[in-house]
Amino acid sequence: MQLLQGTLDLLILQTLQAGPSHGHAIAKYIQRTSEDVLQVETGSLYPALHRLEAQGWIDSEWELSDKGKRAKFYRLTRTGRKQLAAELSKWEQLSQAMGRVLKPA
Amino acid sequence: MFWRKKEHEFDEELQFHLDAEAEERAEAGLSSSEARLAAKRELGNVGLIKESTREVWGWMSLERIAQDLRYALRTMRKNPGFTATAVLSLALGIGANTAIFSILNAVILRSLPVEDPQQLVQIKLGEGGDGEVTNPIWEQVRDHQQAFSGVLAYSPDRFDLADGGESHFAEGLWVSGDFFRVLGVPAMEGRIFTKNDDQRGQGQGAMAVISYSFWQRNFAGDSSVIGKTIRLNRHTFEIVGVTPPWFRGLDVDRSYDVAIPIATEPILRTDESALDNRLYWWLLMIGRISPGESLPQARDRLNASAPEIFRATMPPGVPPQVQKEYLKTSFALRPAATGFSDTGGRYRIALFALMAIAGIVLLIACANTANLLLARAAARQREFSVRMAIGASRSRIVRQLMTESLLLSMSGAGVGFLFALWGSRLLVRLLSTSGNPIDVDLSPDARVLTFTIAVTILTAVLFGFAPAFRGTRLALNQVLKQGARSALQGGTRFNLGKALVMGQVALSLVLLVGAGLFLGTLRNLLTVDAGFNRHNVLLVKADLQQAGVGKPQRIRTYEEILSRLRAISGVESAATSLLTPITGAGWNGFTYPEGFTPQLERDSLIFLNRVSPAYFKTMRTPLLLGRDFSERDDLHAPLVMILDESTARHFFGQANPIGKTIGMDKRGGGSEKDLYHVVGVVKDAKYNRIDEARKRTAYLASGQDTDPAPMISYEVRSERPVEELIPSIRSTISGVNHGISLEFRNFETQVNESLLQPRIVALLSSIFGMLALLLAMVGLYGITAYSVARRRGEIGIRMALGAQARSVVWLMLRDVAVILVAGMSVGFAVSLGAGRLVKSLLYGVQPNDPVQLAGAAILLALATAIAAYIPARRAARIDPMAALREE
Repeated sequence: MQLLQGTLDLLILQTLQAGPSHGHAIAKYIQRTSEDVLQVETGSLYPALHRLEAQGWIDSEWELSDKGKRAKFYRLTRTGRKQLAAELSKWEQLSQAMGRVLKPA
Repeated sequence: MFWRKKEHEFDEELQFHLDAEAEERAEAGLSSSEARLAAKRELGNVGLIKESTREVWGWMSLERIAQDLRYALRTMRKNPGFTATAVLSLALGIGANTAIFSILNAVILRSLPVEDPQQLVQIKLGEGGDGEVTNPIWEQVRDHQQAFSGVLAYSPDRFDLADGGESHFAEGLWVSGDFFRVLGVPAMEGRIFTKNDDQRGQGQGAMAVISYSFWQRNFAGDSSVIGKTIRLNRHTFEIVGVTPPWFRGLDVDRSYDVAIPIATEPILRTDESALDNRLYWWLLMIGRISPGESLPQARDRLNASAPEIFRATMPPGVPPQVQKEYLKTSFALRPAATGFSDTGGRYRIALFALMAIAGIVLLIACANTANLLLARAAARQREFSVRMAIGASRSRIVRQLMTESLLLSMSGAGVGFLFALWGSRLLVRLLSTSGNPIDVDLSPDARVLTFTIAVTILTAVLFGFAPAFRGTRLALNQVLKQGARSALQGGTRFNLGKALVMGQVALSLVLLVGAGLFLGTLRNLLTVDAGFNRHNVLLVKADLQQAGVGKPQRIRTYEEILSRLRAISGVESAATSLLTPITGAGWNGFTYPEGFTPQLERDSLIFLNRVSPAYFKTMRTPLLLGRDFSERDDLHAPLVMILDESTARHFFGQANPIGKTIGMDKRGGGSEKDLYHVVGVVKDAKYNRIDEARKRTAYLASGQDTDPAPMISYEVRSERPVEELIPSIRSTISGVNHGISLEFRNFETQVNESLLQPRIVALLSSIFGMLALLLAMVGLYGITAYSVARRRGEIGIRMALGAQARSVVWLMLRDVAVILVAGMSVGFAVSLGAGRLVKSLLYGVQPNDPVQLAGAAILLALATAIAAYIPARRAARIDPMAALREE
């Protein structure tokens, strides 16, 4: 299933809340957690990561992966945390509103 | 360096992703090579990922600009023909715009290079009223105003540097003592004037401040110039200071040479000094508004003292009604930051019209370049497809194409700028005449540069954007599968191209119609019956002011000179006149003709001149009725008058005007009138300008002048080239009085110079019109050639099936005909609208003149038909077999 415009950012921030992670792991995590419903395209993932980094919501460092290779790890910054909270509450509102419209009680 | 590192790190990041993916797949049970392949498939188009990620790093990295520029330069070099055509047409367009804008800027837009020019305001008498004031008014304002931090007065004049004989003029300024201080102009050498120099006859002597350029020209920039003397109108002035090079005076189209204090005016004008004259309006006043104060505040404060000022300066001998009006006058302020410009006023409409024409030429050049780019984009579709297939995004290619466009327009602007530097100077030189020299500072400033840069960018956007977008809207697979030639998509590109050519045709028609109108105007002005014969007449202006001739002797001196001039061999006839025709100088008055009741006041207003016997013979103005003036029409004889035809008819209808009387106000005011007897009627002649509407004119006899002016104009007609007479005339006149200053001009030159504006507008609009025509031809040639190439296969089939050459040519031309008809209809509509805007520049032609419109249309149709026929005929020569094999 294709991701909605703008939701990838939210998913990435959410994923990074659990701790620093590299691009491949982020993609796999989203895929796995959504039970393979959401496919993260590499062509969207990396531009999104670099954009979030440019905005200062995440930053990155080269560290060794669990397999002992050099990988670029992204982590949430403090403004990123605030951003995540804001995006989450927006998303809550949106999904509730959608729910009310699509499945009226 | 930074970007390299970033690129490198990103490569590593992606590589890690690939490795991690492969590892995961291998763990799931795939062989390592299969895992690798699967990972790659999963990753997708690496180039595209990189490109869109780079996008995030910053819209324009330096590196990418450099890359785009390199690529653009390579493409430009690869297509020298295309590049040359585009750059040249853009250079002409941008250059023409810059050239005309820099003149506009210099004479209308630019602020004076003085201290805080925006604080300067001109002090006028009433809104829309005259700028000139009398010296008594100025002295009152100077001594009593509380509204400004400083006030100044000045008046431009010419001073004769020669010591007798033929005049050699310097551009002069009469200035108030505070002039330079209020403007914030310091002395570069010596000193500037001070308030003390406003004191009359303080024995300070005659002093002058000279300009930098005068200093350089006449004294080679020698600093010992201070204390040296110059002669102005035969009087000695001591040079006390030199102003810096950036100050050229307040008139932007004439730079001053010499400035002298207003208080020294009696030295030059002796018994006719205007310092206490309350009827001589000659000074311009400027005030500097104090910081923090607004124009209305300053005006109100100044007007508080207005009644007092006007009560103290009441002109003598004016009717009570006029007195009342005078006392009610109030001051108005006008921002004076841009200085004064005669050229700006005189050529304003012409300059704006030329600016519009240049703008249209640039639009046509843009359309032309857009069309070339469009055709090229079509040819480059394969290249774009390949680039997109290996990862370039569409926006990246659009950006690349825009870089190319910008590079083209920048090259055009570079060449155009040089062209403009030369062109604007040439144009000003063409406009400048010996009788009316124009000297404008055309060095490009920030505003001109900004203008050129803005035009350059706008141009690039105009011609580059559409082709870039159209050219990159492709279906990748199709293009790659097909051959380059047949890969063109749908009709859209072609329709845009057609629309562009149609626009070109429309705009070209507008320019051609305009050129036709201006040429027609010039032709009418050159052939109009001016009422005189301009050939073989020499004008000699004689100035007696420094000749020591008292007023009572003036008439005798004038007549003495005239009779000696007539005796010179080669002189056919000679005469004098107070005003030389076609100089712009004028004199009018109200009349009270016998038996004529004016409907409106201006019905009885006529223009006047005072001429000697044989004036009409010399000017070849036919005498229609009655007699010419004679030597017997002197101060003791009854006053006589000669009317021109239309005045005679206006006042007396069909009745015989000879013997009728016409009253005119006596000089000096009052209700007394002089009664003139009409003795003759002459043909109508032009008075101020060749292109003026008919001016009713009457002539008075020179022998009956009770108050002869110190200056007079001689008209001398000869069979020989008139310039040959100058030496003998000069020696004859100095034989009468050595102190008379002389100025010689050929009347024909004088008349031609008065037609300068129509001449130049006609010349430039014709050049621009031809340029537009040429560009339209290129456009139509291009689009037809393109369509022939595109439809080769179709033409081959038609010919194989038996189509005749003629029908193939028609097939190709049919499209052109549609474009032409559509473009010309639009062009006609625009021409009619635009024609109305330039009506004041036309003479004897109407903007909707059917002959003019048809002429322009036929010229355009013929030229474009030829341009389109060449490639169309090529279509008929296609070898059907060859064409079909290619398919």
